[in-house]
Amino acid sequence: MSACCETPAFVPPTPRPSSQALKTVALIGPPNSGKSTLFNRLTGLRQKVANYPGVTVEQRMGVMAGVGRDDLTLIDLPGIYSLTPYSEDARVSIDVLKGKMPGTPKPDAVILVLDSLHLTRQLMLAAPVLDVGLPTLVLLNMTDLMEQRGGHIDSLKLARELGAPVAQISATHGTGLDAVPLFLHQQTNRNAPTPLALPVMGNAASTHSWAAQVSRKTGYQAPLSVEGTRKIDNILLHPIWGPLLFLVVVVGVFEVVFSIGQPLSDGFGDLLARMGEFVRPLLPAGWLQSLVLDGAWKGISSVLVFLPQILLLFLFIGILEDTGYLARAALIADRVMRTTGLNGKAFIPLLSAYACAVPAIMATRTIENKRDRMATILVTPFMTCSARLPVYMLLIAAFIPNIVYLHGFLGLRTIVMLGLYLAGFVGAMTTAWLLKSSILKSSETPFILELPQYRMPTLRSLGIRLMDRANVFLRQAGTVILSVTLALWVLAHLPVVHVAGSAYAAPELADSIIGRLGHFIDPAIAPLGFNWKIGIGLLSSVLAREVMVSTMGTLYGADPATQAMHLQTALHHDMTLGGALALMIFFAFAMQCTSTMAVVRRETNSWKWPAIQFLYMLVLAWGAAFVVNHAVMAIFG
Amino acid sequence: MQIVPQEHLNPGVCVSDHNGRILNYDQTGRSFRLLLSKRPKGDRQVSMLSELKIGQTAVLVALELPESVQNHLMHMGFVPNALVTALRRAPAGDPTVFAIDGMEIALRHETAEAIRVRPATPDDLNVRLPNTGESIEDEAPELFEVVR
Repeated sequence: MSACCETPAFVPPTPRPSSQALKTVALIGPPNSGKSTLFNRLTGLRQKVANYPGVTVEQRMGVMAGVGRDDLTLIDLPGIYSLTPYSEDARVSIDVLKGKMPGTPKPDAVILVLDSLHLTRQLMLAAPVLDVGLPTLVLLNMTDLMEQRGGHIDSLKLARELGAPVAQISATHGTGLDAVPLFLHQQTNRNAPTPLALPVMGNAASTHSWAAQVSRKTGYQAPLSVEGTRKIDNILLHPIWGPLLFLVVVVGVFEVVFSIGQPLSDGFGDLLARMGEFVRPLLPAGWLQSLVLDGAWKGISSVLVFLPQILLLFLFIGILEDTGYLARAALIADRVMRTTGLNGKAFIPLLSAYACAVPAIMATRTIENKRDRMATILVTPFMTCSARLPVYMLLIAAFIPNIVYLHGFLGLRTIVMLGLYLAGFVGAMTTAWLLKSSILKSSETPFILELPQYRMPTLRSLGIRLMDRANVFLRQAGTVILSVTLALWVLAHLPVVHVAGSAYAAPELADSIIGRLGHFIDPAIAPLGFNWKIGIGLLSSVLAREVMVSTMGTLYGADPATQAMHLQTALHHDMTLGGALALMIFFAFAMQCTSTMAVVRRETNSWKWPAIQFLYMLVLAWGAAFVVNHAVMAIFG
Repeated sequence: MQIVPQEHLNPGVCVSDHNGRILNYDQTGRSFRLLLSKRPKGDRQVSMLSELKIGQTAVLVALELPESVQNHLMHMGFVPNALVTALRRAPAGDPTVFAIDGMEIALRHETAEAIRVRPATPDDLNVRLPNTGESIEDEAPELFEVVR
C-alpha cells in the first residue's frame, strides 16, 4: 500500500497464491451507504448516484478499470438490510450474491460497503454476508466525515472480530481505495472469512446484539449527529415554512427554466437554424436539399432547441436528489399519498418520474407490497416527464402571452406550466385512489422512511447527470426522431404527381399520403380543436412525446404556406387557443411513450397492463381535451 | 381468567404472555389489560411510541407488528432497549420523525402505535449511549418489564 494512505487497512496473513483466478466481485451493503459512488470510482463508469436510499434497483456490471484490473468484473447491487428478501430490489441483490441470478456470474469475492456514520446498525448486514463464506473485504465508507464529527473506530480490532480485512475509505473523495487492489491481489486462492462468532442467522434481535457487541469491542464511537441537518430541517420541515418553501422551490424551478432557459433555448435555436442555412448552399437544390434541411433538420432542431431548458430542469432535480431534500419532500407529501391509499414509498418513484417514467417504474421495486407496487407503476406515466416539456414549451411560447405578476417573480407562462404539472399529479392521485379502492385494494403497509443527512452536491455528480441526460436526448434525436422525420418527409412527398410538361412534382401536402391519413383520422380529433397535422403529430408521438414537436417542424416545413415561418408562428396561424390548451392537457394525460410501455410490460410480465394503461390514459386525455377545448371556446368565444 | 404462580404476584410488575404481549396482574392473580383511558396520568402514560411528545425520549420495549415489518424495523435500529426520541412531526402532523441509533426515521402514526416503549429513566440516559445501543443478550426485556 502506498505511504500516502492515512487510513490503515488490516489484511490477514496471505496464504500462498493458487491458480484459481478471481473473476467476479460483488459490491454489497445497506441502502445509501455509497456502493454506487464506489462502483463509479472502481470502474470509471457513470452509474446514477443520489442521496436517498433505493437509488440502485438492479444489478449493474462493470470492468474494474479504475484500479487497473481489466480482468475483473464488478457488480453493483441494490442496497439491502438483511439477506431476507423483502422487496424486488433486495431479491436481486440476494440472488446475485448467492449466484442464483440467471445471466449474472456468481461472485467469487465480496466487497461489503458500510456507512461508518451508523456502523452499529450497518454491521447487522456483515453477519449474514460473512456467513455466505465468500472472501470479503469490508470497507468503512465516509470515514472522513465520521472522524470530523468526533467518531472513532479501531479497524484492526474490527478486522479481527469479523475475520476479514477492513479498510477505511471515502468513496466520494476517493481516499483509501488502494485497499481494493491489495485485497484483490491477495485473493488468488479464495480464503473465506473466519469471524470469531456469528449470531443466529435470520434473527434480527440476535443479529443486532451481535452487531452492538462487535462495535463495542472494537471501540466504535459513533459520531455526534450533525446539528446542521436538524437545524435545516427545523426550517424545511416547519409546519408553516416547510410546505411554503416546498412550493417556492417548485415555482422557482419553473421560473428559472422559463426566464433563464428560454433565452438560452432561443439562442440555441438560432444557432441550429444558422447551421442549416450554412449547409444549404452545399447541397444541390431539389429534393435532397428539401429532405435534409426542410425535412430532417427542421424536425430534429425543433426538438433539440429545448435541450438547454431540459438540462436546467435536470440540474435542479439533481440538486434536490443529491442534497437529501427528496426524502423530506416525501415526508411533507405523505398526507396526500395516504389519502389516495398509495404506499408512502411510492412518493420517491413518483418524484423521479418528473425526469422520466422509465427509471421511475424500475424504482418501484423498493415497494414491498405487490399491489401497492402495481398501483404505483400504473399511475407513474401521469407524472409530467421531461419529454412533455418540449411540447408544453412550444405551445406555451406560441399561445400564452408573456404577462408577469408580483413584480416579475411569477409569469403567466409559469402558471400555465405549473397547472399542467398539477393536472398530471391530480390525474395520478385520482387514478391511484380509484385503483386502491377497487381492484388493487390491500392492507396498509407501514411507511418507513429514512431521512439521510444533508450533503453538499458535488459538481462531479451533477456534471455526470447532465452529460448523461444530454447523451440520452441527442441519441433519441439521432435515432427515433431522425427516422420519424425522414419517414414523414417521404410520406409527405408521395405519391408524385405528373404536372404539365414532363416533370414530376410532389403533391399538395393535403393530397400526399400523410395528408390523406391525416384527413382520415380528422373526425376523431376535430372535436378537440385539432387539425389533421396535429393528428399526425399525435400518431407519431406514440413513439415518444417529443416526436410531436419534430413532426410539427417537418410538416409545417414541408407546407409551402408555412415553410418560411417560425414553428411557433405557424402553429399560431393554424390553431385556436382552445385547441392549443386542449393539446397540452391531452399530453398531460396520454401515455405516448413506447419505452414506458416496454418497461411496464417487463416489470409486470404481461402486455395486459400496458394495454389497459394506454387505453385508460387515451380515453382520459381525449375527454379532458374535449372539455378544455369547449370550455375555452365558450369563455373566449 | 388465568392463575399465576405466587412469585409473579408482586404489585406493580407486569408479565408478558406467550405472545409477548404485556399482561398486568392484580393481587388476586387476575390478569387484565389497562384501557387507554384508565391509565394513570404522568410518565406511565407513555407506553406506545405514538404517545411520545416532541423532544421526549423513551426506551423501546417491543414491536407488535407483523414479522416482516418487525424485521425491517429492527434492521433500522428499532430493537428492544434502544433509546428513541421523537424529533418532529411532519407539517401535516403525521408522520413523526424519530431519532434512533443516530438515524432519523419517519413512521406513520399507526406504525408508531404498535411499538411499545417505556419512559426513559435517568439511568437509561446515562448508561446507554444513544448511538451505540446496548447488548440485550443477558436480558429478556420483552419477557419481564418493571414499571415504575
